[in-house]
Amino acid sequence: MNKHIKSLLVLALVVAVLLPTAFAQGQTAKKDKITIGLSWNEKIHSLIQAWQDYMQAYAKEYGEKYGIEIEWVINVAGGDPTQQASNIEDLINQGVDVIVARAHDAAAIGASITAAHQAGIPFITFDRESSAVKPDAHVGADSYTQAVTTAEAFAELLKENGVQGKCIELQGDLRDMNAVNRSKGWHDVEEALGAWETVVQIPTEWDPGKFLSGTANALEAHPDANCMFVASDFAFEGVLTALENAGKLHPAGEEGHIWIAAQDVNPQGYEAMLNGYIDVATTYDAYFHAVELVHMAVRLAEGDPVGAPKILVPGRVATPATLPDMEFIWARDYKD
Amino acid sequence: MHIVRAKNPVAQLSNILLSHGFYIVMVFVLIFFSISTPHFFSASNFSNLLHHSAPMMILAAGFAMVVMSGKLDISIGSIAYLSTGVGITLLMKHDYPPAVSLAVVLLLGALFGLINGVIIVYFKVNPLITTMGTMFIYRGLGLLLTQSLTTSIAGNLRRLGNSSIGPLYADFILALVFLVLMQVVLRYTSYGRDLVAVGNGEEVAKRLGVNVKRVNLTTFALSGLFASMGGVLIVLQVGSHNSHIGLGLEFTGMAMTILGGVSLFGGEGSLVPGFMIGAWTLNIIENGLNHMGASPYAYPFVRGGIIFVAMFADSMKHKASLISKIIVKDA
Repeated sequence: MNKHIKSLLVLALVVAVLLPTAFAQGQTAKKDKITIGLSWNEKIHSLIQAWQDYMQAYAKEYGEKYGIEIEWVINVAGGDPTQQASNIEDLINQGVDVIVARAHDAAAIGASITAAHQAGIPFITFDRESSAVKPDAHVGADSYTQAVTTAEAFAELLKENGVQGKCIELQGDLRDMNAVNRSKGWHDVEEALGAWETVVQIPTEWDPGKFLSGTANALEAHPDANCMFVASDFAFEGVLTALENAGKLHPAGEEGHIWIAAQDVNPQGYEAMLNGYIDVATTYDAYFHAVELVHMAVRLAEGDPVGAPKILVPGRVATPATLPDMEFIWARDYKD
Repeated sequence: MHIVRAKNPVAQLSNILLSHGFYIVMVFVLIFFSISTPHFFSASNFSNLLHHSAPMMILAAGFAMVVMSGKLDISIGSIAYLSTGVGITLLMKHDYPPAVSLAVVLLLGALFGLINGVIIVYFKVNPLITTMGTMFIYRGLGLLLTQSLTTSIAGNLRRLGNSSIGPLYADFILALVFLVLMQVVLRYTSYGRDLVAVGNGEEVAKRLGVNVKRVNLTTFALSGLFASMGGVLIVLQVGSHNSHIGLGLEFTGMAMTILGGVSLFGGEGSLVPGFMIGAWTLNIIENGLNHMGASPYAYPFVRGGIIFVAMFADSMKHKASLISKIIVKDA
């Protein structure tokens, strides 16, 4: 008898402990007000302002639709990982419901993710992933697919025009995984379709001066080059200047046109594509990044078990013909 | 400059290598890339190379002068960014005439440099700490002002920045004339002699009657002025002002200075030929690696390796100089 009572007591204890936990895990308490802490690593690009504006605008729209007041606490680290860690600590101390961070240092952000988790605050990495600690979710661009879709469309274009490409590749900063992925995507399609040969790879380190000098040097070294892959078009003026200085700046349709595949459709690339100098590019969709981020932040703030997903937005292929009618092109809204 | 008056052939060779090593490095990289790539050794490539080296020839000249005075100025990139940011805002957003915008850029450059000088001279703050602080402040102000947006300049200004006179680009000719003039100033004026004296030791310079404060203030103001001038050339060449302008240029400037034989210990070096050769050497390496189609991962390694060797040589030269002083004193 005693044994039975003891067993029942133990069972009751286990149920008493586990039941509320099980309820809590399945619970998605809808909140009236959510505070999102947003930590920017730096703000040296108009894309970041675009992201922030889109996030705030979409959160307002979403909040009005579902009756949630979404507030933002935003700080900027000025390109310093230590400052970013301190800024995130501030967000934790302010008791925000969810933290979103664009990491300056993929490894250093791990300590901030751990600190947020210890405080019971969910953490989303945005645009740049953490290499150290897994966050609750990641939202960003699929830079590999972005390059692949561009390269596939470019291969089709060269084929249509009967061109066998000899391409110059302007790479980004190889410490940036987006730059590495883009280069990989480009070369994977090159290998698969054989529509061009990359004759030289120029590392620009995202320095606009090197977009200019690198293009000029590559054109000098490979006078027979007839195409280019530009890892990002944010400094496309340097490419245009180098082509002009070499007497090779001709829009599509003119003899001597250098076929160009690019990435992002930044304000400089947007103009260059409309003017016929960039033939194909895949957009870096700031608006859709913002939408996905708001959805994920609300779910996490409400305690929804999301399962640590990676939400990667692949971007859309743009050409001079399709670009004018495409919606949510941030380069159009943030035209300098 | 011969460091040790030695009769031993090995010591003489060592003297030559330490004193003229930067010429040897440049000639070596020139020969190497000319042999290993088919299009490197051509007039058009050299013209391009000199064109792309022109902004840094001016931008980092002030840095080299600060180093000659025995100090460091790592705010040059941020000064270039902020001063040209103000200029581009006046020019493109408020329709100021280009000449007025240019004058404002240059005045601001000199002012930002002077602020560095005042903090160092009057508040006795270490130059590295001072300019590291202002490096962040100036860049922050620039970002605030421009909202980190990229601003394209008018096509005619971009064409001006890429115009040529005969086979050479105009900005290179400008940079060359500028460096020669500054070298004349350093060599033949009392300011130049005082600068070298300060670089060899402020206490000794004071005892010799040099107005050390004035020399330091002037040198930092010139460093700021030249940084803004170089910034203008970058904007004109690239065709836009953007938030990457000046990023990391303090290290490029340092590399050029060291490769040009300007001693990090101060009191030694020249703008022409020294610093100029250093600027070209770094550009030749970059250009040559582009021509070779080198692995993108090789660039920092090659650049870093050559700079390390130059720094090592500078350190050896300094050591030899100290030994020679001791020998002379004992004699």
